[in-house]
Amino acid sequence: MIRLKINGLSIEAPQGSTILQIAERKGIEIPTMCYLDNHEHFPSCLICVVKDQQNGKFIPSCHTKVTESMDIVTDNEEVFEARRTALELLLSDHVGDCEAPCQTNCPAYMNIPLMNRLLASGRFDEALSVVKQDISLPAVLGRICPAPCERACRRRNVDTPVSICLLKRYAADHDLSSKSHYMPIKSNSNGLKIGIIGTGPAGLSAAYFLLQKGYICVLYDKNPLPGGALRYAIPDDRLPKDVLDMEINIIKQLGAEFRMNHEMKENELEELRHKYDCLIVATGEDNTSFNGLEKRNRAFITERDTHRTSKEGVFAIGSAIKPGRVAIRAVAHGKEVAIAVDQYLTGQSVTGEVRMFNSRFGKMIEEELKEYMLEADKGPRIETIENEGFSLEEVKKEASRCMHCDCRKQVECKLRIYSDKYGAIQKRFFPDERKPVRKIFKNKPVIYEPEKCIKCGICVRITSEHKEELGLTFIGKGFDVEVGVPFDNEKVNALEKTAILCAEKCPTGALSVNENENK
Amino acid sequence: MIDQRFTDLERIIQEKGKEKKSVIPILQAIQEKYNYLPEDILKEVCKTTNITPDLIIGVASFYTQFRLLPAGKHIIKVCTGTACHVKRSELIYDAFGRELKLEKGYFTDKAGLYTLEKVNCLGCCTLAPVVQIDDITYGHVDIEGVSQVLKSFTREKQANAKLKKSHLEKMTKIQGEIRVGLGSCCVASGSEEVKKSVESAVMDKELNVHLKRVGCVGMCHQVPLLEIIPDGKDPVLYANVQPGDVKSILHKHFRPSGMWQRIKTSLFDIAEDIQTDRNWEGVDRYALDVREKHVSSFLGRQVPIVTEYRGAIDPLDIAEYLYRGGFKALGKCLKEMSPDELILKITESGLRGRGGAGYLTGKKWRTLKDQPGDIKYLICNGDEGDPGAFMDRMLLESYPYRIIEGMVIAAYGTGATQGYFYIRAEYPLAVKRIRDALEKCRLKGYIGQNIMNTGFSFDIALFEGAGAFICGEETAMIASIEGNRGFPKLRPPYPTEKGLWGKPTLVNNTETFAQVAYIVRNGLIDYTRHGTAHSKGTKVFALAGKINRGGLIEVPMGITLREIVEDIGGGVAGGKKFKAVQIGGPSGGCVPEWLADTPVDFQSLDEVGAMMGSGGLVVLDETDCMVDISRYFLAFTQSESCGKCTFCRVGTKRMLDILNKICTGKGSVRDLEELETLAGWTKKGSLCGLGQTAPNPVLSTLRYFRDEYEAHIHGKCPTGKCRDLITYTIENNCIGCTKCVQNCPVGAIPFTPYEKHVIDQKKCIQCDGCRQICPEDAVSVS
Repeated sequence: MIRLKINGLSIEAPQGSTILQIAERKGIEIPTMCYLDNHEHFPSCLICVVKDQQNGKFIPSCHTKVTESMDIVTDNEEVFEARRTALELLLSDHVGDCEAPCQTNCPAYMNIPLMNRLLASGRFDEALSVVKQDISLPAVLGRICPAPCERACRRRNVDTPVSICLLKRYAADHDLSSKSHYMPIKSNSNGLKIGIIGTGPAGLSAAYFLLQKGYICVLYDKNPLPGGALRYAIPDDRLPKDVLDMEINIIKQLGAEFRMNHEMKENELEELRHKYDCLIVATGEDNTSFNGLEKRNRAFITERDTHRTSKEGVFAIGSAIKPGRVAIRAVAHGKEVAIAVDQYLTGQSVTGEVRMFNSRFGKMIEEELKEYMLEADKGPRIETIENEGFSLEEVKKEASRCMHCDCRKQVECKLRIYSDKYGAIQKRFFPDERKPVRKIFKNKPVIYEPEKCIKCGICVRITSEHKEELGLTFIGKGFDVEVGVPFDNEKVNALEKTAILCAEKCPTGALSVNENENK
Repeated sequence: MIDQRFTDLERIIQEKGKEKKSVIPILQAIQEKYNYLPEDILKEVCKTTNITPDLIIGVASFYTQFRLLPAGKHIIKVCTGTACHVKRSELIYDAFGRELKLEKGYFTDKAGLYTLEKVNCLGCCTLAPVVQIDDITYGHVDIEGVSQVLKSFTREKQANAKLKKSHLEKMTKIQGEIRVGLGSCCVASGSEEVKKSVESAVMDKELNVHLKRVGCVGMCHQVPLLEIIPDGKDPVLYANVQPGDVKSILHKHFRPSGMWQRIKTSLFDIAEDIQTDRNWEGVDRYALDVREKHVSSFLGRQVPIVTEYRGAIDPLDIAEYLYRGGFKALGKCLKEMSPDELILKITESGLRGRGGAGYLTGKKWRTLKDQPGDIKYLICNGDEGDPGAFMDRMLLESYPYRIIEGMVIAAYGTGATQGYFYIRAEYPLAVKRIRDALEKCRLKGYIGQNIMNTGFSFDIALFEGAGAFICGEETAMIASIEGNRGFPKLRPPYPTEKGLWGKPTLVNNTETFAQVAYIVRNGLIDYTRHGTAHSKGTKVFALAGKINRGGLIEVPMGITLREIVEDIGGGVAGGKKFKAVQIGGPSGGCVPEWLADTPVDFQSLDEVGAMMGSGGLVVLDETDCMVDISRYFLAFTQSESCGKCTFCRVGTKRMLDILNKICTGKGSVRDLEELETLAGWTKKGSLCGLGQTAPNPVLSTLRYFRDEYEAHIHGKCPTGKCRDLITYTIENNCIGCTKCVQNCPVGAIPFTPYEKHVIDQKKCIQCDGCRQICPEDAVSVS
């Protein structure tokens, strides 16, 4: 047995084991990317570096064997800086978007590409559940949303953007016209009560998400019916009221209580604050009758990500804080405030919705658009007559126009997870001129995106160990090294046995399973 | 046709083997045959051997020697080694591009005759800038000379075809000895032609002289060298000899043997003199007296241990090596010493590895000796890749037996059972000499079975590198011999524990092995006379750059850098001011003039931010831009990174990005800070020596010449070297001679005879051609 110290902790370890193995056994987490258990290994990514206190050197823990009286640190700021720098260097040579621009441009951060793919393959219920994770009133928004997502859609640079708004409307309408509506899973009641002032899109949305978390929600409104500006400011031909009612009904079914015809009195805020564990002010643009919260111009002042107001336990959202009556923004606020309120009431630090690290590469050049179009229906955008939605055929075809700009590995990608964890800045070393993005489809059923590769060699080793006829190899050297197929030939599939395995073990989105192939 | 190709391949495979480890030799043979690696042939290799497609493509694309696309009939290699770089070889490269009318992104001319390449270092640093076309090397090439070089190459090719075979071996009565230096520098400067002239002159005149080729004399700044030793008279050394001078020189010392010959020769010479306008003056012009002051100071401060008998010994004459005490040390070891005694002696001598890191040789040997197992390997590292270094090349070419003897002694001490030479591809002459020397040693029983009848057996094979600087790193070198891409492995385990084919392996530098026999033969007292407390013996340096007398020098440890520059090198050339010494190549650093009294030993050099390195020593003068120098070295290591580890692969690239920004005037103070931070992490986060030392040139210039970086950030290159920051203008002393107009490759100077010329700044490419050709020095750079 070898005695050593990790983070000051005295440890006994069997001879021949690596620092990583011992740390894992002791529950000390060390990140890895190029390491693959039970496979031949040579360290390259350097994300697993730890510091040897005795000589001050940084060593890869995945490969370094423990030695007697070693003194290792895995978690101080210096080690984190080393890892962060390694990540930032990898990111400077990693061209790809984690999330598609449509999603990042959507105020509600809805997973649009996933919805598109589910719609394209006719999985409408699943598409709706994706929508409803972020948007509480999709049938409503499917009719009135100004669709900032479509302005960001990359397809716009080829011909016209994907008709995202109508696609979402189809998913929602399909659900509303079915016998049983989609109902989100609701946690057990926690007994905490939230008062929501205003039943416009912001207030309704806040209720929708808080109810799911087990809160009791009571909504106040001066009008006889809920919906706020949706009901009283938008003409019927644009937004039929039965659609609005159906979506409000779902929130009612979730447990929302409404106190209608309730005109707020001058000092009622204080009163209600005592009655509820938390208050959310969503009174819309017209909040003149309201006192007790700090305002600038006529809008309440709130903290940016959490929507906290100047008053403890009181939050404000929607047009009450940002005039303009943009329904999608109000709906997004509702989701965000639900997270902040939950954090506040469960004693967590109140940060609001935390978005994960997101790699973005900006504008596409023409060659890249061609690569992306390989995945998309080439047809023109399907237009409908005013206020009409898509037919079944139309929805499938239009959804297929999506170019799949989001990364297929956005959840599992270790580069993303660790960049998020260590606070890496994507653009720190990013060059002025980036490499053009490629998508290579010939090795079915995987897609290879070389510009996402971190050259860890896991796939090279897998194909070699499984004795693929061609397999993968490193081609070139130094900065320009690439993983590729020897004697590259369009017709030959180089990954006959190991395609899925390689995609699974690839730590980034460079190799991923093409879901279209598994259709 | 196809069948013939595959038959050729069959023969290659039969010769080189079918296993993975043969992949590099097979590829070398294929390229030798086809000038590149045709895909159908490579596929056939995969079919008929155990070499897989991923391996063959992985290896072929890793090493720069290999070409996967057809190249021109002749390859033009412009040397971009350090010495060539400071003499602005990039301008020469551009000039060739223009001469061949290469379009952007293309490197072969339309006719398919020439392919233009950059090469890391041809090791002819004293002749910088150097260009090699196929096997012919041209030194001191300037921009105007580019077209002449191509013309002369074409002539040479035609002439070579007609060369007669020499009959020197038939001579009997010896009138004296003629020594021709045939190190690579000498050959590059034309000594092969001088030798041929000597041969033909000797034949024509039927002189009975002993024509002897000798290895490098070290006086590479005076090449080609020709030494005449008439029977019973004092030797005379001629420097800078041209083929046309040979006849006159020989005529002065030797008379033809027969009466008829004498008359014929005289007549012939008279006739030829009229034709060629040559006379006796040449002889005196080139004669150098060995006792002359600057020659004696060049050689006088030096201590020849690994270069013992330089200029006097025929590299391949094994009898002469024996006569000069060769293999005595080996005999002594085998017959009188136990391996432990030997290792103790080497340890006590204080010998440290000459490859750069300076690890104690005896200690390394001890570790290998103590390893269990019947099979142990030994490798001589001759993969000298530093631009600006050519010590190993010279040693391999000039003293092959000395190195072999050192290796066999090491094998005896450590119990190694098989040895390897790993020699870089760019050193064809070294490869040839070592191959011949090994053959002769095998015949004479100095390697192979039962060496010197002592029952000790040890053989040495030769492995040619394929053009990868990283393979100078011992674990990468081992990977290369095993038939892999040259990826280094994390140490520990060190090769002494787990090396070639997983067996304990000793890797020592060429120069280290070359010191061994001397130590054993002459003893500790003699050896440890030279050097300092912790650095014993001598070190060989390749002295080049802005120096009067460049060349190969062997100096005792502890000599100061200033002594090397001033006394041995004769000071900075052209009356310029001495600015700094770049020592240790891409892993080393720049030592400024004000620290030039630093003694040359491992510790002192480390302390000033440089390192001993393998021995490149490039002198820089006041016109050299330190930012450019640091960018130059970083560009080198960046391009030579194997590409495995993040910090080296991407870190060096991003550092280079920043340096490029600074050199083009786009840098900011923040960039400078980022450069320093990133340099620090690249050093700390890299796993092998290449990445760990790559930032050194940047860090050392930042340490001593930060003001120059700052000047670049403010849009100024103080020495006028960085092309994006300078403008060429013609001053009032222009006489309107139109020389610059005619010489301008881009037509940036309008034709205005007898008027002051003007440069169109929009067209100017800063090629420096006008400044170089102006007879009035009227072109200024600012």
